[in-house]
Amino acid sequence: MAGLLAILAALARAVWRDLRTFSTLTGNNFFLVVALIMIGQWQSGLFFIALFGILLLVPLAGDPMRKIPPDRLTLWPLTRGQRIALRLSSPALTPLVWLAVPFLFRAAGIPVALGLIGSALAIQVLLATWRHIMTRRPPMRPFRLVPAPPGKLGGLIQKNGRQLLSVLDTYVALLLCVAAIAFRIASPKLDPEAGVILSLLAALALSTQAQCMFGLDLPWGIVRYRLLPLRGREILFAQDVPFFVVLLILVLPLAPLPGLAAGLVALGLGHHASVLQPMQQHRWRFTGGALFPFGFFQVILMMATGVAVARQSAWYLAAAVAFYLGSLWYCGRRWDAG
Amino acid sequence: MISCRYLTRRFGDFVAVDNVSFDVPSGGICALLGPNGAGKSTLMKMLTGLLAPTSGDAFVAEHDVRKEPLAVKHAAGILPESLGLFDALTIDEHLRLSGPIYGLSAAETRHRADQLLHALSLEEGRDTFLDQCSQGMRKKTALALALLHNPRVLFLDEPFEGVDPVTADTIRNLLVAIAARGVTILLSSHILSIVNRLADRILVIRGGRIVMDSPASELPQSLEEVYFGLVEASTVDDLPWLGSSQS
Repeated sequence: MAGLLAILAALARAVWRDLRTFSTLTGNNFFLVVALIMIGQWQSGLFFIALFGILLLVPLAGDPMRKIPPDRLTLWPLTRGQRIALRLSSPALTPLVWLAVPFLFRAAGIPVALGLIGSALAIQVLLATWRHIMTRRPPMRPFRLVPAPPGKLGGLIQKNGRQLLSVLDTYVALLLCVAAIAFRIASPKLDPEAGVILSLLAALALSTQAQCMFGLDLPWGIVRYRLLPLRGREILFAQDVPFFVVLLILVLPLAPLPGLAAGLVALGLGHHASVLQPMQQHRWRFTGGALFPFGFFQVILMMATGVAVARQSAWYLAAAVAFYLGSLWYCGRRWDAG
Repeated sequence: MISCRYLTRRFGDFVAVDNVSFDVPSGGICALLGPNGAGKSTLMKMLTGLLAPTSGDAFVAEHDVRKEPLAVKHAAGILPESLGLFDALTIDEHLRLSGPIYGLSAAETRHRADQLLHALSLEEGRDTFLDQCSQGMRKKTALALALLHNPRVLFLDEPFEGVDPVTADTIRNLLVAIAARGVTILLSSHILSIVNRLADRILVIRGGRIVMDSPASELPQSLEEVYFGLVEASTVDDLPWLGSSQS
């Protein structure tokens, strides 16, 4: 019994550490913008809060038992009964259950709630059995489909593209754009200004990633970068290409020029943080950057440049390109200097 | 081919490498031995440009490590202590990423990658992502990356640790063969039996200083005896609960 409790305690600690992913929001530019929107008009921010909630709860709703390495679980001297007890009690450690169960008892009544919880446990057992069968098959890796473009930097661009697709920021931007396109199809009389704002919001959703470009390479991948005979500006450019490609795809149906200008500014400022203050990130989490000063200035300058391109002149895009190239040159030299 | 003079690295008050000087000529295989924390990896990092020396000079293939870092990286193949691999790529993709960066064509990269993967028994796992690889596979991938561009100098930080004995022997034979063609090798290892059969020169480092620098053929005793004589073994306290009836 003591062994079982020790395992459950360790699982609870692991789940608690996962809950700290909410803390990455405090360093995320898009969350800053949502917070500012909610200060002005709290109802307007609810849609964005729902987006964050959905994207955060999906990984947190996973089976806590997956945190135990299968080999370790097999090695522990647990009886068959203890293993079944562990299997049945572990769903109680899922944060989604903590939120859902009180709501369920209040809304549906005790008999229905107990029935649903029983069904949920049965599903957990079925899923565990399914996973046990599937462990003998090679895991699916859809990001394998991300191609390597030709050229010297092709492999690095492929890797960076895969990494960009494995942070939640990208999916917030994607959901925003999909919602905007759906809204445009449903109501053709969409205000043209809405396209600009949504394009800038998509760029803002990606912008924290622009200041944490090496976050998923830390701690060991960064050593490989240092060993490659490449200049700093080439390494940074290989990081920027997937960012541009994803941003272009997202803003193309909305307002491409303001979105791209904002993206250039985000990268121009982000290079500095990426090179001088690299912060380790985790897959399937929101990117947590340095809100002050980098994130704050990113948000202000991105909005100003994007709005200037949309309302004043497309020449502001040329200024954004010049700023980006200057940053690439300067921060590349800082990288080379070690 | 590898030359360093009075190389020193301090971390605050701690001196990790202290006034180290040595040369390894073209085609030489030099083994750097020493206990954990002796300064081997710090020395390797300074020679490969991963860490700036506090003072002193280092040259690799006639290039100044500080002033010509790109030329050093082109000339050297490096197996770092941390391996420096990307979890988001497969073994094969690592090699395909690396080749063009060193100026190899896609066809040449493919050809060399196939041969290296075969030699290192990695063919079956070539499409495995690095986060699913065993430590041995990761080590062999990093070694393949070090060899792919046909370097003139090799820096290998513990190349045999975590590798199965058959592959370790293959690597040893490979290193002997390429050294005979003029490639200079500096390696660190704790596996004295392999070092004994491979290196033509032994450097022992302890507390950041070189305490022995000798041709392997001129060692007064066996390598193991020399090493244990130079590196004080820590005293082991008895752990009375081990082996007792107490569970």
